[in-house]
Amino acid sequence: MSSYLLRSDFDPMVGGFVIIMVALAAGLRLSRRPGGTATRTRQDQASGPVTAAGWRRLAGHVAVTMLGGYLLLMVVVILYYYVVARVGGAFIKGAFTGCALLIGLATPVFAAASLLTEQFRARAARKPHPPAQPDPTR
Amino acid sequence: MAHHPLIGYLVWAVLFGALFAWEGLALSHLSNYVPTLSDTFRAIMRYPFGRWALFALWLWFGWHIFVRGWHFLLRA
Repeated sequence: MSSYLLRSDFDPMVGGFVIIMVALAAGLRLSRRPGGTATRTRQDQASGPVTAAGWRRLAGHVAVTMLGGYLLLMVVVILYYYVVARVGGAFIKGAFTGCALLIGLATPVFAAASLLTEQFRARAARKPHPPAQPDPTR
Repeated sequence: MAHHPLIGYLVWAVLFGALFAWEGLALSHLSNYVPTLSDTFRAIMRYPFGRWALFALWLWFGWHIFVRGWHFLLRA
């Protein structure tokens, strides 16, 4: 019973955890090298209305993040399947298609939410501020 | 549903309890050296690989919750 528990639950869990942690550690080490690809801080970002170039930059940023995350997860899934545990069913095919479906569903929602947020922000910025009222207690 | 030993559930409960306790300690500002989960995510997301890893985690979670074992509505 205990060996079955170890084989079926504990080993896959530890294996998956170790794979993710090693990948994270490697990425952190790479990005902390001198001249690494650390991104800009919020102070660098413009606070005015979003331009077409800004939207293009956001789209590129999102696309790179999605593609990188998708490929990273597929690498982890393949390593998990062949190194740790041969999960039953069409595991790998399900991971590729299921995650692609999830991205396909989430991307339009994210784009619409971003567009709406920016429109609300721009509308609030255009609204004139009321002049300061004199203090009636004085 | 498969029956598992109680200790397996207890371990999950302790892990989640520790997670919330650590976040609570960070939010309480009693300790200056404990970053909140938001601080941690912000630090990770400063780097492209960190963003990829977090997005991969989000995908993995969403795949398991919403996609795996999913059946079309009203399908027998």
